[in-house]
Amino acid sequence: MRDRDEIEALLARTAIADRAAFDDLYSRTSAKLFGVVLRVLNDRASSEDVLQEVYVRIWRNAGRYNANGLSPMTWLITVARNASIDRLRRQKTQPTGDVDVDDVALADPAPNPEAEMLRGAERAQIVACFDELEAQRAEAVRRAYLEGETYADLSARFDVPVNTMRTWLRRSLLKLKECLSR
Amino acid sequence: MSETPDRDDDTVLAGEYALGLLSAEEAAVFEARLGAEPELRALYAAWAEDFAQLAEDIPAETPPAQVKTLIESELFDTPRHSIWSWLGLAAIGGGLAVAALALAVFLGADFLKDGPGAPDYVAEITAEDGSLTIEAAYHAGEARLVLERRAGEARPGRALELWLIDGDAAPASLGVLPDDPHAVLEVAEGHRAAMPNATLAISDEPAGGSPTGLPTGDVLAAGQVSSI
Repeated sequence: MRDRDEIEALLARTAIADRAAFDDLYSRTSAKLFGVVLRVLNDRASSEDVLQEVYVRIWRNAGRYNANGLSPMTWLITVARNASIDRLRRQKTQPTGDVDVDDVALADPAPNPEAEMLRGAERAQIVACFDELEAQRAEAVRRAYLEGETYADLSARFDVPVNTMRTWLRRSLLKLKECLSR
Repeated sequence: MSETPDRDDDTVLAGEYALGLLSAEEAAVFEARLGAEPELRALYAAWAEDFAQLAEDIPAETPPAQVKTLIESELFDTPRHSIWSWLGLAAIGGGLAVAALALAVFLGADFLKDGPGAPDYVAEITAEDGSLTIEAAYHAGEARLVLERRAGEARPGRALELWLIDGDAAPASLGVLPDDPHAVLEVAEGHRAAMPNATLAISDEPAGGSPTGLPTGDVLAAGQVSSI
């Protein structure tokens, strides 16, 4: 958990406007966050623009990062994802239909397995819980998170009425939570 | 799913919010509740942590260097003048900057009554607009830090927490200030060596102090320690 503590300390110092800490935070997290932004937007120019916006938000809001009780990396990823989805929805662009979200859970392990062991265990658990859902329902949840798809997008993709989609997804959330809390 | 229907509803709602599936109106209602309901915050935080695992394996991609340049020019395109702009406090939204040291102001007789001898180090921990001003005097021999709050107070239901900032290390808490404007703290042994060159800062925290051991609220005031 050393990484987590270090990122947390960098955020705390960024919160008091320490530029050296902000530089360090940027060099340690920008590749990860750029990956997240690219994943949602799938366009380099707008992703660079959004990444800029993300770090401006991080600088300005670092002091409030754990107001909702999030871990530092989750907060950073959430800021990046939310900014990307805001952009996506403003652009009204359809997300690419070809990305196979299943490969996200199956991709290579993190480069630093020792430091990542705990997160690895958490990841294994959520992957296992997604596997307990019907394939399409799991994909719907993944697409909502990773591609920022809305109920309308998802109902079109899976060719079901919006209300049916909503019911599916809500049931999936309860099943996931039940599995994750075992 | 042995839980009550209400809690299930909130679990689902928090999950939909974390996924970004709520309409703008629904999200606004949820956010208003979030501020007031710790249990709902916990439900949301659990989902955010769970879903962030999905992002774990997204490949990292180094952004082009110009992104960093653009961020810096957006944030810092104003001249830096002094050690205080290191703190960059004007950028924190609260409009905090730090006044020059004004030793004469707080070396009044009452300030020195507190113990034998004059302090070795002093600091004026202050907000730019003067809305919070705390004078600090440090007696190195006894590791005694005497604080006099001259202006301002904790927000209702909140606390003021004092932090020691030493170079590049994470801020270290020196303690939560009492309601009494006058306070005497003993600086823990591990922080004594850093005191002469430290910056002291005050942040707004929940009653009882930061739950995390690091500042969580707005930084309200700061000041550099200097020898007398």
